[in-house]
Amino acid sequence: MDNWIKLPGCQYITSTECNFSSVELNVFEEVRLRIRAEKGNKTSQWSMVDWFIPFRKAQIGPPKVHLEPEDKAIIINISPPGTRESHMWAMDSSRFTYSLVIWKNSSGIVDKRTETVYPTDKIYKLSPETTYCLKVRARLRSQRKTGLFTPVYCINTTVENKLPPPENLEVDAKNQTYILKWDYTYEDMTFQAQWFHAFLKNIPENHSDKWKQIPGCENVKTTQCVFPQKMFPNGIYYLRVQASNGNNTSLWSEEKKFDTEMQTIIPPPVISMTPINDLLHIYIGAPKDTENKFMNQHYPLIYEINFWKNTSNAEFRILHKKTDFFIPNLQPLTVYCVKARTLIEDKKWNKSSVFSDIVCEKTRPGNTSITWIIAGICAALFAIPLAIYIGKGLLRCINYIFFPSCKPPPSIEEHFSKWSLKNLLLSTSEEQTERCFIIENMNTLTIVEETNQIDEDHRKYSSQTSQDSGNYSNEDENSGGDVSEEVLLQEIM
Amino acid sequence: MSAKPDAIQNCLWPACLVGLLFPSVLSLECGLLNVHLNRVTWQNLRILNKMSDSFPVECLTENKDFELPQKILSYTQPMNRDIMEAFYEMFSQVFNIFSRHAFKSAWEEKHLKQIQIGLDQQIEYLERCLEEEEKENEDTKQMEEISYSGAREPLLSNLELRRYFNRIGNFLKDKKYSHCAWEIVRLEIRKCFYYLQTFTMLLRRK
Repeated sequence: MDNWIKLPGCQYITSTECNFSSVELNVFEEVRLRIRAEKGNKTSQWSMVDWFIPFRKAQIGPPKVHLEPEDKAIIINISPPGTRESHMWAMDSSRFTYSLVIWKNSSGIVDKRTETVYPTDKIYKLSPETTYCLKVRARLRSQRKTGLFTPVYCINTTVENKLPPPENLEVDAKNQTYILKWDYTYEDMTFQAQWFHAFLKNIPENHSDKWKQIPGCENVKTTQCVFPQKMFPNGIYYLRVQASNGNNTSLWSEEKKFDTEMQTIIPPPVISMTPINDLLHIYIGAPKDTENKFMNQHYPLIYEINFWKNTSNAEFRILHKKTDFFIPNLQPLTVYCVKARTLIEDKKWNKSSVFSDIVCEKTRPGNTSITWIIAGICAALFAIPLAIYIGKGLLRCINYIFFPSCKPPPSIEEHFSKWSLKNLLLSTSEEQTERCFIIENMNTLTIVEETNQIDEDHRKYSSQTSQDSGNYSNEDENSGGDVSEEVLLQEIM
Repeated sequence: MSAKPDAIQNCLWPACLVGLLFPSVLSLECGLLNVHLNRVTWQNLRILNKMSDSFPVECLTENKDFELPQKILSYTQPMNRDIMEAFYEMFSQVFNIFSRHAFKSAWEEKHLKQIQIGLDQQIEYLERCLEEEEKENEDTKQMEEISYSGAREPLLSNLELRRYFNRIGNFLKDKKYSHCAWEIVRLEIRKCFYYLQTFTMLLRRK
């Protein structure tokens, strides 16, 4: 911290104030100062001054103003605050905005008008032969700094020119050309139009010689002229027009600001449409952009779709960002017509294309809205297993009725019923005792085992079907057993 | 059969439209700004590339790091006033470099003009949006001024940007606006624009 430097302009001074503006400081860096009093060899303690950033502390001074009167306007040229050598505002010379207060000298400052002006600009809508007074101050937007006002300048406007300047300049874009139009009071005049780079207005210099003729707009007899779009690459320009009748020339018109970006024409979209039940499936083809391909790449587009029943006038309007969507809840078998246009998603521009061609299409029959479709699907999901189940039951019945298992003759049946009873008893009670037989006698064992096997089969069937069928299957082991087993197995499955 | 859909059409559509339209339309104030910026920055980047074929090898030794303050745009909010001001400051300073000293460069007049036009356009849009915002905040600002009794301080990041561009300006001056110095500055500004470009792309995605 000991690299303190002597501050030029502030050494050995007797007053309590000094000026060090000649020092080349980096005005954006912090500055620390210390000060002490000296007398002979004796010195006081250093007193520290709070650190500061000169640029932050600096106050914007008044700019310099040069005025030139016309009949209904004043041309103004402003030099930025500070001097050429000072570096406080060196980086801002082209970025000051100027705010101007102007009033008629006769009416006093009460009736004032405030305007934002460029370093080279024109104040319009004044009266001829009138004294106007004005003052200007600079402003640095990015730093939120406002400067001091200049002293008040007063100036007289001139006598009104014989020919008025052209008015209401307007630029339209059409195909690959721009059309510049204006109004003029008299007929049989020749006009010429000029253009100028907007960015030059920010550079404080005299640019009066930088206006250029627009080819195709020299000595035109009409109140409009046409020039190719490619003459003006993307950017901001100014245009002005002058009228002449051979002897006299008017002053230049008000300068018309012309931003090519704002002139872009949005072509209408292309619609195609297919009816699906009571829906309309809309597909929007992106606008075909001629030449400049800014459209989809850069700008968020919205489509406005208007649709109506062919028979009624009531129009419905919907907005969509997508290019592919449905219009739901329409009446079936009704002709609907649709038109669409493209909007740029920006309130300020308020840009939109013209409407597309009208497309009409009839909706299909059937009032199947989405809920109905869903309900249908759900119902179907339940119905299918039910139908299968019923079908199977039916098949079984049919099988019993028309293709019954071979019935044994009644004489056997009688005999068999006894068996079955016996078997039934065996199946429950004898089973537990069968192991006892096995241990006691080898001969009985084989027999029992056999019956047991039959019995097991029987139990398997009887558990699945009625008692009767169990009996049959048990008895008809050899003859019809195979058939019935197949049927039963099917059922189990 | 058709009574129900008709009722839906008649009652729901206007309601839907009101619900859908208004929030989106009202929030579009200068909403396209980053789209514009993105577009014009891209254009400017292309011009900067076109200005010279390639970086001259003999200038490599003079290369310098200007320390682009990258932190200033690491905000996560959408386009707000602070970001707009930072952009404004950047474009203004680049415009300043290209308009005050560039006539001493060896670049083609055509390219120089194109870049000035592009920068001017960006500054113009930013200015308009800043102005719009100022008008909107007029009442609140007046109240603020009363309560804080003084102008609001700009962000510190703006000062950092100034320091950065001051370094660039001083470098050009020190090198007496030599060809190499301009080439190095061109590269630096390209870097700066590229950085802005990616930033606006990120903003667009939000």
